[in-house]
Amino acid sequence: MPESLSQPDAAPSRHGEPLLQVNDLQVSFKTDDSRVRAVRGVSFDIYPGETVGLVGESGSGKSVTNLALMGLVPSPPGRVDGGSVMYDGKDLLKLSPLQMQSIRGRRIAMIFQDPMTALNPLMTVGQQLTEMTRLHLGLSRRQANEKAAEMLELVGISGASRRLRDYPHQFSGGMRQRVMIAMALSCEPDLLIADEPTTALDVTIQAQILDLLRELQERRGTSIILITHDLGVVAETCHRVLVMYAGKVVEKSDAGPLFASPQHPYTQGLLQSLPRFDQVQTTLRAIPGQPPDLGNLPEGCSFRSRCPLAIDRCAREEPPLASVGDRREAACWVAEENANG
Amino acid sequence: MRDLLSYLFKRFIWMILTLLAVYTVSFVLMRAVPGNPFSGERNVPPAIERQLKARYNLDAPPIQQYFDYLGGIVTDFDLGWCMGLEDYSVNQVLAEGFPVSATLAIFALVFAIILGVTAGVISAVYRRSPADVALMAAAVLGIAIPNFVLASLAILLFVFTIQIFPAGGWGTLQQIALPAFCLGLPVAAYIARLSRAGMLETLSKDHVRTAFAKGLPKRTVILRHVLPGAMLPVVSYLGPAVARVLTGSLVLEKIFALPGLGSHFINAATQRDYTLAMGMVLTYTVLLFVMNTLVDISYAIIDPRVKLQ
Repeated sequence: MPESLSQPDAAPSRHGEPLLQVNDLQVSFKTDDSRVRAVRGVSFDIYPGETVGLVGESGSGKSVTNLALMGLVPSPPGRVDGGSVMYDGKDLLKLSPLQMQSIRGRRIAMIFQDPMTALNPLMTVGQQLTEMTRLHLGLSRRQANEKAAEMLELVGISGASRRLRDYPHQFSGGMRQRVMIAMALSCEPDLLIADEPTTALDVTIQAQILDLLRELQERRGTSIILITHDLGVVAETCHRVLVMYAGKVVEKSDAGPLFASPQHPYTQGLLQSLPRFDQVQTTLRAIPGQPPDLGNLPEGCSFRSRCPLAIDRCAREEPPLASVGDRREAACWVAEENANG
Repeated sequence: MRDLLSYLFKRFIWMILTLLAVYTVSFVLMRAVPGNPFSGERNVPPAIERQLKARYNLDAPPIQQYFDYLGGIVTDFDLGWCMGLEDYSVNQVLAEGFPVSATLAIFALVFAIILGVTAGVISAVYRRSPADVALMAAAVLGIAIPNFVLASLAILLFVFTIQIFPAGGWGTLQQIALPAFCLGLPVAAYIARLSRAGMLETLSKDHVRTAFAKGLPKRTVILRHVLPGAMLPVVSYLGPAVARVLTGSLVLEKIFALPGLGSHFINAATQRDYTLAMGMVLTYTVLLFVMNTLVDISYAIIDPRVKLQ
């Protein structure tokens, strides 16, 4: 990994209960002629106060996984086929729509990729910030306005009380993402799901937003799931990383070891395709081939056809996530063999 | 506020220019049509025809007529004497008929908006449900059936079979109901389809997903975050809808025997009543201009990104 990148502080101790436990989550989408299995048995835990990176290319199921946690999988065509999401002793997948409403925004909040479209263009920023706290925290209009101004100050928007009357189009992209963050954190949720929060922003703004997220997390102890395809972002902010491929988690690891010695060939490929500033490169490296068609998955390991290490067994059996070291798991026969001698 | 005033001023200038153009085109077109207000089955003796023409300034050269009549309109809002109706000035005809037509149009529009938007919202929210299919099928029918057919059916059903409405006349709410229904229904059908499309488009927007992610109840999301945006195409359509209701009422006023402007408009055209026809055309031009301006202003009120130019 590029050594120059700053590292997040050491992972918070993972003693105690996980905040959220996702178990064997399955989500599929109906298309004209088949059912596409977008998420195929994803399991992970989120502990209080940690940032977990969810990495993978488009279509790997990372966004759908998180929409399922929020109960927001568009249905139809989408459907949660199985698994459980345990939070606070309850399975979120089994809650009624009404119960889910009191979780969404209040306990688990979400910010989205494109701040240009994620805010309602016809409502003032103030209206959008206050409707949540009034609903979930039962604040009066005045209290909600004060809270909204306070939140805007917190995310670094100056003249906050004046800006509450402005519409989203009067803010720049970075500022809108700050508004989104202010909105998401205004009910002090336990978990913040950030779905590619910096992808649509330019690099300097990107760094500011990540710093902001990190700072707010330190102050409030919010857990963060950071969905991204940018490994640089992961290196900068995440304590742990889940790498997803074709609807499955293929590698789970603390961030440091993952970058130092990726175990799954897909993760290795991803890291190799990063441009390096410490070497002269003429061409960008890429993983050969295409991700598989989720509606028509091949037997065995779904990464096999693109994998430089593939062995016979990969064509027959799909590798499960297995331990490949201290607190590290990978879904690869070769990695498992290497790890266990 | 300043924007609004300068916008209104600009629109006003445009309206004057448009009126001038409409006046000119109408003037030329009407005189280009064969015949004149006094040509009929029976030939009028030449002496009387000369006197008639002199009374209505029709003996002057056309250019002279053009400016004389325009002068009267500009200085006194005087549209002259009707050529077809004895002893009526055009202003009188307008003053009597306009309130009737306007009332009918307002009732029809309000009915169309309420019915159309409700149907569209239900269709979109319960997309692909039986309700959606039924409503949209009804909307297609509503758009396809001409309002005179609708009016005949409505009279058969509500006047003769179930006797709850009078067949015609003007003055009571009961008498307004049936023509307003027939006039508004096709517009309602169109608005229903526009609202449904607008709702579906807005429902798929990112900010609606944000609203759901905030934990807002579905009803709040629909009413507060989806409906206003979805109404923009409907608001744009209200300008043309007014035109549609006005022209539609020409036919319906005849069917329901309403003392509105409709029959005058038709008669003015068939009888070459130059002055009355001109009065109608100019009145409707002003009306459409005012409506379109109102539409633009409401658009800017709903969507803060829109600047009035």
